[in-house]
Order: sequence, then structure tokens, then C-alpha cells
Amino acid sequence: MRTKTVTTYLSKAYRRFALHILDIPSRLLALLLIVLFLTIPGILPSSKIMSYLLSVLITASVMAIFASSWDLLVGRCGQISLGHAIFYGLGAYTTALLFKHYGLPPWVGIPISVLIAAAISLPIGFPALRVKGPYLALVSLAFPLIATSIVFATKGITGGENGLPISVAGRFFQLTNIHNLRIAEYYLTFFLLLVSAIIIHKIANSDTGVVFVSILDDEMASKACGINVTRYKLMAFAISAVFASLAGGVNVHLLLSASHSDFSLTLSFFAVIMTVLGGMGTIYGAIVGAYIIYFLDMYFLRMVVEIPDVWHILIFIVPVIILVIKWPRGVARFVTDKLEDLSEERPLEERGKWIWKKYRRKKKSANED
Amino acid sequence: MFEQLLILGAVASAVYALLSLGFTLSFGIARIVNMAHGSFFMLGAYLYYAYGPRGFGKLDVFSSLILAAITVAITGAIFYRSAIHSVMGDDIALIVVTIGGALVFQQAMTIIFGVGHVTINPLWEGAIHIFNVAVTYSKIFALIISLSLFACVSIFVSKTKMGKAMRALSQDRQAAMLMGINTETLAMLTVAIAGAIAAVAGILITASTSQMADPFIWLYPLTISFAVVILGGLGSIKGTLVGALTLGFTETAVVLYFPEGGFLKTGVALAVMVAVLLVRPKGLFGKRIELEE
Repeated sequence: MRTKTVTTYLSKAYRRFALHILDIPSRLLALLLIVLFLTIPGILPSSKIMSYLLSVLITASVMAIFASSWDLLVGRCGQISLGHAIFYGLGAYTTALLFKHYGLPPWVGIPISVLIAAAISLPIGFPALRVKGPYLALVSLAFPLIATSIVFATKGITGGENGLPISVAGRFFQLTNIHNLRIAEYYLTFFLLLVSAIIIHKIANSDTGVVFVSILDDEMASKACGINVTRYKLMAFAISAVFASLAGGVNVHLLLSASHSDFSLTLSFFAVIMTVLGGMGTIYGAIVGAYIIYFLDMYFLRMVVEIPDVWHILIFIVPVIILVIKWPRGVARFVTDKLEDLSEERPLEERGKWIWKKYRRKKKSANED
Repeated sequence: MFEQLLILGAVASAVYALLSLGFTLSFGIARIVNMAHGSFFMLGAYLYYAYGPRGFGKLDVFSSLILAAITVAITGAIFYRSAIHSVMGDDIALIVVTIGGALVFQQAMTIIFGVGHVTINPLWEGAIHIFNVAVTYSKIFALIISLSLFACVSIFVSKTKMGKAMRALSQDRQAAMLMGINTETLAMLTVAIAGAIAAVAGILITASTSQMADPFIWLYPLTISFAVVILGGLGSIKGTLVGALTLGFTETAVVLYFPEGGFLKTGVALAVMVAVLLVRPKGLFGKRIELEE
């Protein structure tokens, strides 16, 4: 009897899996990519350049978390923020300070700094209640600049322009072999990226996410429908701040320092560029964009083709500009759209069935006809 | 100390007013959030260097100033035609395209002139003492040019036919189009004029302060100009002047009276901007910031 319940449970699980993943080509592709990324450290030989490639992928994962948090705030809720690095920098500096002064391990320090950043995100989100659109974009630019000037002015605490280095004990893993360390960090960041992406995606597609989109589409209409716009806008800021500061905090324990460049506008602009390259409003687009840009910039153009660094930004900015003008939906959406077109149009009730069952049913219905 | 505040604050406010005047024109009137506005500032300084005695052109100071302004105006018009024009109406796409443009300009200058800074010629050598405060002639010159250009542009916008058309454009794009105004050309001209003003501001500021230009000096003027414009109120030239005065004097006061003031000045100025905005979302003199569609 017991085996029977187990098999029914397994078949149910398989059906859910097939319904939600196997039957949707884009999700199948995502699954294959995840499997590929999980096996990358196993495939790559242990050499210096491969350790470097791993560190590029680690950075790309961290930036992907950052960019997807931006996408939730801007692509879904329409609160254009060009100063998103404020949350990243807040996460970075609080984590570094907590480690330095209280010796908190990353597993404790990062959650605390994430909570602090979420609390600070509320006053930062406050202007969003008064101004909107391009005005909000320009006002939000101010916050990281204010933070940078505070960092420079309080040299005693934050280290000013020298940044805030932390000791080697701040690493996530105490491994001596650099390649093994990179592999461990790679899996950690990739796991964090997966978890955050799933959470952000779930939020974006939950009831709350629908409210966010309604605010993006028409704020007045949402207000008229009885939605507490204030609450949801601040909620979007807080959720977004949580993931952005997570990225900042993780980065501190990877690079072993926090610096004023964590607040820089370039970082905020890169979140914009990565997200737009991948496709705004889709959370996965930001991740794809981050991987494309970091792989191109730090690995392909630097190590493979060996183009001088000054040309890199030109090489990927010009295509992004053309892409935004000609095809604003982004790379990731392009791929998923094509995949959905390619897949045969299957009726909804057919989805997720056992494949053999489907054929049997087809046969049956053909016989009945 | 107080005399210093008065004089240096006045100079800073005047150049900030000139700097943000271009941003007022493109943001307030043509409704273009031009993130590449700071790049025009940077391009102006670089072209002034390139045309000037130390650069390739070997021209004198004033012809290189005028030529630089004209070149930047043309660049602005081309930039409008090739990039901004196609994404008008979509806020996020516009911001992305103009940020991209700014980065392209920055990298182009890095490739042409190198990563380090170039030395900008002062407009006028020497200094004068007013109330025991040493003021360089360059600063006085910057003050005079700024104020006269500011006056010219405000007269241009309020009195001439084209200025009238610009104000019509800022009020209602479609109605302006129906009244026979060529809105596309007008918007392009606005961006070009804004670019030329930003270039002049860039030359005046770099020549009268640090006398250096590097490819990354576009961010700071951009933040100053948006802060001034938002503080003063959108599309209001009087507001721009008041915003520039507020910001210029605040910054100078912070530098003079606070320890570490040189670092804090931007932070305090922007904090003032945010604080004013929370009390008055329209800015000090803003008439119609669109809170709703």
C-alpha cells in the first residue's frame, strides 16, 4: 500500500513539474541553463584563467540580484529610481561595519544590514509619494550622492575614499586553495541568485505584483479602485531595497571591502542598462542582461579578444542604445517569444499530462471519431 | 568670512544658474530628461582645450570658446535627431538612451584624450582683491558672462516669437503642433541651444576653478543642474535663478563654515533640494509639474 501512495505522490509531483516547466519551452530553457551553470565548475579545469572566469560569474550573479531588484521596482511598479546604488551601498557599508566592529559572521551580518536597508528605504521612498516619472528619477539620483558625501566626510568611521577593508576572516569560506574558494563562492552566489530571483518572481506574479503593475499602468485608476497606493509604493521600495542590499552585503564579503564606488551613479546606471538589455518588467531579463554584460566586459573582451578596457563600454553601450530604440522589449523576451512561437499550440487541458497518456488519449479520440 | 561667502557664493550661483539654464530649456520646455546634458558640459571643456592654445587648433581663448559652443550645439542637434527623437514619450527609454549617450561621449573623450585630465586655459590671468577676498579675473569674467547670457536667454524665451513657440511647446505639445509650430525642429533647436549653454558653462567653470577637465566631469554638473531645476520649479527661468542662488550659497556656506565641508557640500545642497521638494513638490516657482497624467 505504501509504495502505491509513494508512486501516486511521485506521479503528481512529476505532473506538476511537467505542467509548470517541461511544457513551457522558455522555462525548460531556463532549467537547462540552471543545470549548465550548476555544472560549470565541474566542467572547467582548475587553472588561473578559470578561477578568473568563476570570479566573473560570481560578480555577474551578485549584479543580477541587484538588477532584478531594480526591475521589480521600476519595471513592475514604475517608480523610476536612478539612485538604486543607495541600497547596494547601504548593504555594503552596514555589513562591513558590523563585521569590523562586532565581528559578526556574514550569515548574521548580512541579514541585519538587509533589515536596516529595508528600514532606511522607507524615507528614501518617501519622495516617490510626492513626485513621479522623470522627476522621481532625478530626485532619486540625489540619495547616493548625499550618501557618498557623507562617506567622504566621515573618514574616521567609513574610511573615506580609501574604502572600508575587512580582514580575510570575512570570507564566506575559509579555504586556502583559491580555485576551491571560487567554486564555493560561485555556488553560494548562484544559489542566492536563484532564491532571490524565485522570490522576486513570485512577488511580481502575486496579488501584490498585480497591484504594482496597476500602479505602473495608471496610478489614478488604482487609487480609484481603493488601492492604498502609498503603502504599495513603499512596499515596492522596501522589497527592492532588501535584495539590492543583499547584493551589496554579499559583495563585501566577496571583495573584502566596501568602498564609495558602491554608491556610485555608474553602478545605478549599470542596473538600468543590464535590465533594459535583458528586457524590462521580466525579472529574468535583468539576470540575463547582467550575465551578458559582465561576461562580455570582464571575460570575453578582456581575456579572449583582448580589447583595451576603454573600448568596452562603447562596445556594449551602442548596441544597447540601438536595441532600446529599435526593439525595446529586450534580449530575453526576444528569445522567450521566439520559443513560445516555435512550440506547438497545445490546448490547456493537455498540458502536464504524461506523454504516453496524451498519445493514448489522442489515439482513443481518433478511434471514437 | 561673510564677505567671502557673499562673493564666492555669488560667483558659484551665477555659473550654476548658467549651467542649469540649458537643463531648464531641455527638461522644462522640450520635456526631454537629457541625462547627457552633463556631457555637453564636459564636451565643451574638452573642445575648448582642443581648439585652444594647448590643443590642436592653436586658436585664441575667445574664438575657441565660441567654436566649442557651436560644435557642441551641432553635436546636441545630431544627438537629438539620431537618438532622443525616436524614444520621445517613453520616460524610461529616454533615460536609458541619454545615459547611454553620456557614457558614449565619456568613452569617446577617454579614447581621444586619454584617461587623465587635460589642463584648461584660464580665460584671463590674474586676480583682484575685493573686501580682502582674492577673486581671479576668470571668476569675475565667468560671473559677467553667466549673468549676461542668462539675461539674453530669458529675454529670448519671453519676448521673441521662437521663445513664445517654445513656451507653447512646453504647455501643450499637441496644441502647439496644431497651431503650426514645427515641434520636432523646435525641440531639436532647444536641445542644441541647451547644449551650447552647457558648453559655455563648462568652459567658464573649468577655466575659473580647477582648470582641469577629465572624461568623468559630466556627472557633477548634471546633478547640480537637475537639483537647481527641480528646486526652482520646472520650466521657470526665474525659478532657475532662485534655485541656483539657493544651491550656490548653501554650498559656499557649507564649504566655509563646516569641517570637511568640501566633501559635504554636494550632500547638503542635495539634501536641501529633497527637503524643499517634500514641502513643495512643484519646486519653489513651479507652476505645473505633472503629478497626475
